[in-house]
Amino acid sequence: MTAQVASMGSSLGRRALRSRWIGPLLVMLSVATLMALTTDRFLHPRNLANVSLQMAIVAIVAIGATIVILTAQIDLSSGSLVALVTVLTAGVIKNVGLPVPTALALMLLLGALLGLVNGFFSTYGRIPPFIFTLGTLSIFRGLAFLYTGGTPIFSVSPQLNRVFYARLPLLEIPMPFVYVLVLYSGAALYLRSTKGGRQIYAVGGNAAAARLSGINVNRVRTKAFVIAGVTGALGGILMTARLDSGSPNYAQGMELMAIAAAVIGGASLFGGTGSVAGTLFGAMTIVIVQNGLNLHGVAAAWQSISLGAIIAAAVAVDMWRSELGSVPRRLAAGLRGRARPGAGPAETRDAAGPAGDPDSLVTKER
Amino acid sequence: MADRRDRLGVDSEPIWELRGVSKAFPGVQALDQVSLTLRLGEVHALVGENGSGKSTLVKCLAGVHEPDGGDLIHQGDFVRLRDPLAARDHGVATFHQEFSLVPSLSVAENVCLGRLPARGPMIDWNAARDEARRAFAELEVNVDPDAPVGVLSVADQQFVELAKAISQEMSLLILDEPTAALGPAEVERLHRIIARTARQGRAILYISHRLDEVLSVADRVTVLKDGRLVATRDVAEVTIDDVIRLMVGADLDEHFPDRVAPGGPARVEVRDLWSDGGARGASFEIARGEILGLAGIAGSGRTAIARALFGADRVHSGELRIDDQVVRARTPRAAIAAGIGLIPEDRKAHGLFFNLAGPENITIIDLAQLLRGPVLRLSEERTRSRQLVEKLRIAGNVMDGSVQYLSGGNQQKVVLARWLFAKARLLILDEPTQGVDVSSKLEIYHLINELSGAGLALVLISSDFAELLAMSDRIAVVRDGRIVHTAPRGSLSEHDLVEMAAGGNAA
Repeated sequence: MTAQVASMGSSLGRRALRSRWIGPLLVMLSVATLMALTTDRFLHPRNLANVSLQMAIVAIVAIGATIVILTAQIDLSSGSLVALVTVLTAGVIKNVGLPVPTALALMLLLGALLGLVNGFFSTYGRIPPFIFTLGTLSIFRGLAFLYTGGTPIFSVSPQLNRVFYARLPLLEIPMPFVYVLVLYSGAALYLRSTKGGRQIYAVGGNAAAARLSGINVNRVRTKAFVIAGVTGALGGILMTARLDSGSPNYAQGMELMAIAAAVIGGASLFGGTGSVAGTLFGAMTIVIVQNGLNLHGVAAAWQSISLGAIIAAAVAVDMWRSELGSVPRRLAAGLRGRARPGAGPAETRDAAGPAGDPDSLVTKER
Repeated sequence: MADRRDRLGVDSEPIWELRGVSKAFPGVQALDQVSLTLRLGEVHALVGENGSGKSTLVKCLAGVHEPDGGDLIHQGDFVRLRDPLAARDHGVATFHQEFSLVPSLSVAENVCLGRLPARGPMIDWNAARDEARRAFAELEVNVDPDAPVGVLSVADQQFVELAKAISQEMSLLILDEPTAALGPAEVERLHRIIARTARQGRAILYISHRLDEVLSVADRVTVLKDGRLVATRDVAEVTIDDVIRLMVGADLDEHFPDRVAPGGPARVEVRDLWSDGGARGASFEIARGEILGLAGIAGSGRTAIARALFGADRVHSGELRIDDQVVRARTPRAAIAAGIGLIPEDRKAHGLFFNLAGPENITIIDLAQLLRGPVLRLSEERTRSRQLVEKLRIAGNVMDGSVQYLSGGNQQKVVLARWLFAKARLLILDEPTQGVDVSSKLEIYHLINELSGAGLALVLISSDFAELLAMSDRIAVVRDGRIVHTAPRGSLSEHDLVEMAAGGNAA
């Protein structure tokens, strides 16, 4: 009985390690602890509520980023898509006069369509997604400018405003929380327990094997972009609702924050590894850092620089992850090396070892 | 034989001596106090099951890994090989099991990679080309030095890799599974070259899974098991069975299980199959439970026929019938739906998902079976996977760990388990035992027999002709993308197959 419980526990532990959300959770908690220790304003309820609301939009856009990254692709256009959706949402409600629900449905459809464009050209069109979405990054924001002539659209609709600021009846939970909770649960369930989710991991892990397993690789990759388009549109809608306005200048750099959330959350840019749970902690980490820097009165320039540093560090951790895993062994080898006369530094010699060579004996021989 | 004794006559000082060499990796003692000597003029074979430590030993000599303990002695001097360059400076040339070629560079560039001949600050391309040509002349092959490596066939790439190894100044040539992608005629040629290279006064360390090859080319053989040295023997004193006993540590009565050929009407009929990949008018039939062996040299079209049947290459014309129904499989997806399965030759690149555990790897082929509404029944997935894992006796942390950490044999069983899960009607096995240790091989043979017993029609592609002859009910010899000869088992010898398969080339 106890053995059974223990094995269940270790199995859960292994799965947690594999989906890599424990690390991101710890990173998020330590960043939060650091902020709480250095400024008493961080734990103030008003500040915590503010942080959470800030996080909601990035977190939702990051779901799409995660799914695209899981298929070993990248979407650089999500920030611009958010901006385009803010001006169009504001425009169709205020200028065209569409009812809010119709407008929102239209925006979700548009997001899916723009995602389809990204997906179609970077899979069937065989333009590398990095390049193609770099193009749409520019195009989507350009369209937003074209639509508004450069000026923001203010005072859109009190009804839309409530979409963000309303609270859940009885429990008094702010709606953005509810959206995040529902969307993350849905995405986690999709990735874990549906055929489509499993195929996303398969395609990201080994596209050639996925094809020989009967998976339509291009379709799965395109679908990932469509999902990213929809989450981008959701982000755009929420941003319009929050700010009661749309502007082509909104969501600058949000694509990077979304990608960073996914990568800090344990998603590998090589595809096939990662989870939305990790991404949620990644998004929290980013927003907490930003908030903390704000509270400490750090200038905007330095905030931008620190966000860049976090992104670079997260990607570096992804690239070096396998090597970092072998640090204890290398230390041990180094100690043994020093005990022998004439032994040199241990760092260089393992470079071509199991870490550098994915097919080396650890995988090969055992 | 005379040839071998000549070489033994050289019997010189050992050029390399390993004394008590050990190497550990997290959770694995890959090498444990291994000692052996390598002499000039001698071909020394290294055998052992997967995980026995062969590759680690090779990598210690090639400067890829440094031993944790023990000594490497080169001509009486204690040396340390900190990196591959240091190994090269000590005259070690290595042919790697996994190619170390750059596909976008030319053949000549690859052969001379890392030591391109220079004239002043400029690369001397003519010298590089000449060097590549010299190496190919020695290998008795004709490869264009200016062609990019990426466009060559796998066999030719293997020769480029070989040319790269032999074109350097060297006193020790390490060949790690050099025949994996070669057909019998090419293997024979390679063995001639190895013998000649040894006679020229070099030491050769030869690693192979194919024991018949080992015994035909080597002078001495060292057997490793679980990182420890079991024995070093003169080849003249041992038989294949002796070596297998040393490797597995127990008696293996039979190298291959017995087979009773089934009879009956054709379950699979292929008529005049032409494809982009190189099937040129292939026709054959397979009965229920029958294993049809496809024999041929590398590039003969065996794999092309398999890929065409599986919808992986575009088919121009031809007809495939299974159970009297015409099957048109334009994609692997359609093929799988029609009950066709493929065990691909390269299980790492085309078979397995290293980011996933065993159950996910097994069920990916037919997730529809697990669906209740839109949701996968994950507990059902675990239950059914565990049954297959137990049935196939897959060892290691299959249920929860990445399949990356399983041995080659267990990885192959995971791939096989897929088609038991998906219930295929026709299963194509492309080199199913390549890179698989002896005891897993035997288990895979038994599995193949079981599949045949269950009524599947099976296509077996293997470069190991002994295996092909033992496992197939009929053998079809493939040349230029079509079947040139079909014969029941027992009517052909390995020698016949070598001759027939090479027929086109020998002329």
